[in-house]
Amino acid sequence: MSAKPLFILVCSEEHEKIQMAAMMASVAAVSETQVHVFISMGAIYPFKKGLSDDQRYKGGRFSQVLKDKKAPDAMMLFEQGKELGDMTMHACSMALDVLGWEEDELIEGLFDGCLGLTKFLSDAESGELITL
Amino acid sequence: MSERKVIDARGAFCPGPLMELIAALKLVQIGDDIEVLSTDKGTVNDVPEWVAKVGHEMGETIDHGDHWSVIVRKAK
Repeated sequence: MSAKPLFILVCSEEHEKIQMAAMMASVAAVSETQVHVFISMGAIYPFKKGLSDDQRYKGGRFSQVLKDKKAPDAMMLFEQGKELGDMTMHACSMALDVLGWEEDELIEGLFDGCLGLTKFLSDAESGELITL
Repeated sequence: MSERKVIDARGAFCPGPLMELIAALKLVQIGDDIEVLSTDKGTVNDVPEWVAKVGHEMGETIDHGDHWSVIVRKAK
């Protein structure tokens, strides 16, 4: 394992940022770095169960390119990171609260539960924090 | 007797070929080779970087013109 774990805080629902978070998380996780992903604010929307690609991914010009070229799906990359590496994903409890969502409305098998920001930030003191 | 498995990741974009390689490595024996076919230019640099970091062995990288073959031996 690499000395410093990587903490990725995602708060934008922009497709390009979700894609970058998924790429960083999955590649770092399979490269023997411990990865912890925290999904908050609008970034929670794309993680809702049962959406089509167009409903799930909203973004700028590059988002359309990612869809047209069939770049690896961000949700699939998060899943691969968890499957093949040492990675956890948590949904922000505040984001779920304000939306009135339950944890079971999120894509199955992706999340390790809900977490508060305080706990995530406290854990992140031991590693590198990236915010998207 | 070592074996070679071919992964056809042509048409997949970063980090698709790398993820396919890693998934395949989990399923083969130590000493076996995986040959990744890729049209993604980044694969030629990314795979050796990953292999060096995690401790497998890099084999040949062959430029076929319209795609590359990147060969990796499972070392652990």
